[in-house]
Amino acid sequence: MRLPRLAQEAAWSYLFLLPFLVTLGVFFAYAFVRTVYFSFTDYNLFAAPNWVGLKNYLDLFRERLFLTALRNSVIFAAVVTVGQTLLALALAVALNQKIRGITAFRSLYYMPSITSSVVITLIFMWLFQRTGAINYLVTLASRYGPAVLTFAGLAALLQGLQVSWERWRGLPARPLDPALLVVSLLVGGALTWALWATYLPAPAAVAERQINWLNTRGRWPAGWGAPVPLEAIMILNTWTTAPTFMLLFLAGLQDVPREFYEAAAVDGATGWTVFRRITLPHLQPVVFLVLTLGLIGTLQMFDQVAILGDQAPLEATVTLAYYVYHGVFPPGALPQVGLAAAAAVFLAVLTLVVVLVQRLVLRAE
Amino acid sequence: MAHTTPHPVAVPTPAEGLAHPDPAWLARRRWARAGLVYTTLLVLSILFMGPLLFATLSSLKDQPTEWPPRLDPPQLSPRYWVGAYRLGKEGGGSGWFGSFEPGSTLRMELTYRVPPGQAEAPIGVQVPRRVPGAGAGAVRTGPFASEVAAVSPVEVVRRVEQEDGVALTFRFTVHNASADVAVDRVPLDVTIPRGYRLLEATLPPNREERRGQVHSWNNIAGGLIPYVFYNYHRVFSENYSRSTGRNLFLTWIGNSFLLAALKVLATLAFASLAGYTLARMDFPGKQALFVFMLFSMMLPPQVIFISNYLVLRDGIFGLSRLWGGGSLLNTFTGLVVSGLVGASAVFIMRQFFLSLPRELEESARIDGATPWQTFSRVILPLARPALGALTIMTFQGAWNDFFWPMVVLTAPQDKYTLTVGLLSFRRTYGVAFDWGPILAGAVVSALPIVILFVIFQRYFIEGISFSGLKG
Repeated sequence: MRLPRLAQEAAWSYLFLLPFLVTLGVFFAYAFVRTVYFSFTDYNLFAAPNWVGLKNYLDLFRERLFLTALRNSVIFAAVVTVGQTLLALALAVALNQKIRGITAFRSLYYMPSITSSVVITLIFMWLFQRTGAINYLVTLASRYGPAVLTFAGLAALLQGLQVSWERWRGLPARPLDPALLVVSLLVGGALTWALWATYLPAPAAVAERQINWLNTRGRWPAGWGAPVPLEAIMILNTWTTAPTFMLLFLAGLQDVPREFYEAAAVDGATGWTVFRRITLPHLQPVVFLVLTLGLIGTLQMFDQVAILGDQAPLEATVTLAYYVYHGVFPPGALPQVGLAAAAAVFLAVLTLVVVLVQRLVLRAE
Repeated sequence: MAHTTPHPVAVPTPAEGLAHPDPAWLARRRWARAGLVYTTLLVLSILFMGPLLFATLSSLKDQPTEWPPRLDPPQLSPRYWVGAYRLGKEGGGSGWFGSFEPGSTLRMELTYRVPPGQAEAPIGVQVPRRVPGAGAGAVRTGPFASEVAAVSPVEVVRRVEQEDGVALTFRFTVHNASADVAVDRVPLDVTIPRGYRLLEATLPPNREERRGQVHSWNNIAGGLIPYVFYNYHRVFSENYSRSTGRNLFLTWIGNSFLLAALKVLATLAFASLAGYTLARMDFPGKQALFVFMLFSMMLPPQVIFISNYLVLRDGIFGLSRLWGGGSLLNTFTGLVVSGLVGASAVFIMRQFFLSLPRELEESARIDGATPWQTFSRVILPLARPALGALTIMTFQGAWNDFFWPMVVLTAPQDKYTLTVGLLSFRRTYGVAFDWGPILAGAVVSALPIVILFVIFQRYFIEGISFSGLKG
């Protein structure tokens, strides 16, 4: 006897799905349910778990380390998500050009994103050493800061003069007309160099800056800012994730119909106006997507904290994800799986809230 | 008009010309625009590639944290390549890889400048008993070069009067006086009088000690490769397993390749099946499964790792005991089984199969083919590009995977993957701020992915735009 067609198809479906269902069932569904269960017990990996009700959740909010982790995670997610979205958008707009060699450049920018977090974090740890390249750049900036400011001022002044001159001649020069800008930059640079060589103090007179980025409990801005080691990780993370999101923005930019730009140009709209009135509204769904993906990703931040390890104080880098791991494998102490599981559930709920908010906003549109 | 246009090159404005007809003015403007665009692109390249290139270059240096950071390590200068090659050969090695064989003699020449007015005094040469660096290399026991090396008396072979002092060239040899002891490292210390400055050397010293009064070499008989790629050579030659004696770094590379390959095979087989089923077939619970799958992709792995750790520890509900195994912690089986099919891989394949036209399958079905026949004969051949992208992405994901291998593979070190191994490097070498081997290890472990990326760029970028659709 043959089964009816629908039942047959269902049977084949489950057969095809079997490996996936088993993996998803055992290593996700069962695991998630068990995490929720553990969060109501006092399990410690060795003794049998006892039911303790809501105790872990109440304890969690009295734990100093958890509150620090929560604070760090929220600050980290907010700053990095905003930073990487803006950087990715700026990059995408800059790269959305039909010019020779653009694909090669795009690939270059993508390199940090494909390299493993371990490699990137190790390289950044090295850059952030006391005698590392970042401190050297800071030293250079403090030595040559006055020169850079002089240069910027002079260039702006020259640009203003040139634009006024062109307009007076009746040419439609824009404030940042590229041809004039090149002249302003070149002449400004030469003038700055001349000033520097004759008048301003020798750069060597400024002290070397060897900031301690990693092994410190300091905050910046002092008092209320984020811990300095966490800020180092923020820089790292923005740098590695921006190229990925840039690709999403680029895809979005290419979907904006060309006629809109042409119509705007006919109406005489330029630069910033076109970006704000045409590009940005078209990109809105992509912006939401990038913000959501960014928040989900940054709330998961773990690797960097684990790799930094004892190079930075735990309180200065701990995040929710690391707190969970730390609770299960605390160095030299009994595991507090119950507490860690409660933190894990909290983290899951936080992630879900982010996703649901995005859904609601999109539906409201 | 706003004064702070952040994207001067952003939007092409084809109608620029309408406002002004002068072609020379327009041409000038076009050139300037292109110039600015390329400058911006170059600056961004420095921003994104700079740290990686700088790290790669610095991984050649003796002291990657020197202040101020410089980009001209002597390892990059060809005249020292000649010296390193010659010394490697003189020691009885091949030149590429040196040695210090019984009876061999290494010849060194050093030229120092004596400041005007200072008495010309000899330099002192010594082969110290020194273990290489920190980390696992530090536990090694003999034979040491200091036990077999005989240093000849130092002679002055050349004396040149210069405006700013006297250039003295010293020559000495280091001879392996033993009958049968070959050594692979010959460190050297040269004590110099105050005020002397090194002008030339067969091989330049790796560091200065005691306020510049001792010039110190790690290994003068290493040969060309260990000289230029000193830190890389250390990574491979200093790390041996304490339990099996195997070369740890090579083992980790092998482990990472093996695990990534297994993961790719499993994903190709099972994710394409599951993706096809979700895209094309009908069964009760399909919608719920899909939503649940998306849910599983969002959660951080730390949320579910406790149970997974226990499942592996207890041998998957005791099942592994049936085959005589116990705990699956510290086994590759455990690592592979727990990540057999990733939800995101299934999702990507589903998206791909949704984009295929239905007609092909329908004709196959009318001909009486079973779903398996349809899948294997009709669908899979069409899915080749998607499977290519999936292979690359899965390999990259598995190669870079850090959290779960770190939890599962803890001991012995032979079991580590490359990422977990690098973390242990961070611990062993990092304590001594010995950044050379850490950077070298990082560069080596990034290399396969960079090569893959250069060859299969398109797949990487497609993968991103597919997975970007999630959420």
